[in-house]
Amino acid sequence: MNKTKHTRRFTVLINYISIVVILVLFYLVRFLGSSPMFLIFEIIPLITVVLSFRHAFVKTGIWKMTHASYEKLDEREMQVVFKAISISYSLFAITTLVIIYIFILSGLGQIDAVLAVCLLYIAHILPASIIAWNEKV
Amino acid sequence: MRKERGLSRKELAEKIGVNFQTVGYLEREEYNPSLDLAFRICECFDLPIEFIFSTKPMKPLSEELLNLKRGV
Repeated sequence: MNKTKHTRRFTVLINYISIVVILVLFYLVRFLGSSPMFLIFEIIPLITVVLSFRHAFVKTGIWKMTHASYEKLDEREMQVVFKAISISYSLFAITTLVIIYIFILSGLGQIDAVLAVCLLYIAHILPASIIAWNEKV
Repeated sequence: MRKERGLSRKELAEKIGVNFQTVGYLEREEYNPSLDLAFRICECFDLPIEFIFSTKPMKPLSEELLNLKRGV
């Protein structure tokens, strides 16, 4: 594996880990009754999300590729994007369903705004993440 | 073949209407072009399709020349 791909995979991982950290911190405050001041620490993973997003998706042009209209893509790019979208569709559907079931079965109640925003963000970056992980862009 | 014609990846990509990265994928045999793209490439190099694409691995040019000389 070349160094660029290795670095890109690493930044994709950092991006997802940061999202998980944001959620963990939020739920620590909500359910364990930690001080709301604890939420200040959310800034660190939030900055990491922004930086890793920029490095893994924006700088590489993957974000542009997954959000471009199909007329602007060539046949290979179209194939890559379609494949990534179909994989991410099933991945996202399964992940969301699992989360909903966990919330229902554990009595956590409804999905809150923070989790919804994180899921919305993941829905957007998932095709780009699959391309960043697999392709030599 | 591209280098023989003194073309950069970007120049060839513009001529055949693809992204320059796709040219790299084609050259590394990591992507099989559609029939339409294959014909556009052939038109660009002004060569018949069997000179550029083959389902079998291409023989070295020296071997091809030797066969041609021997009339094989």
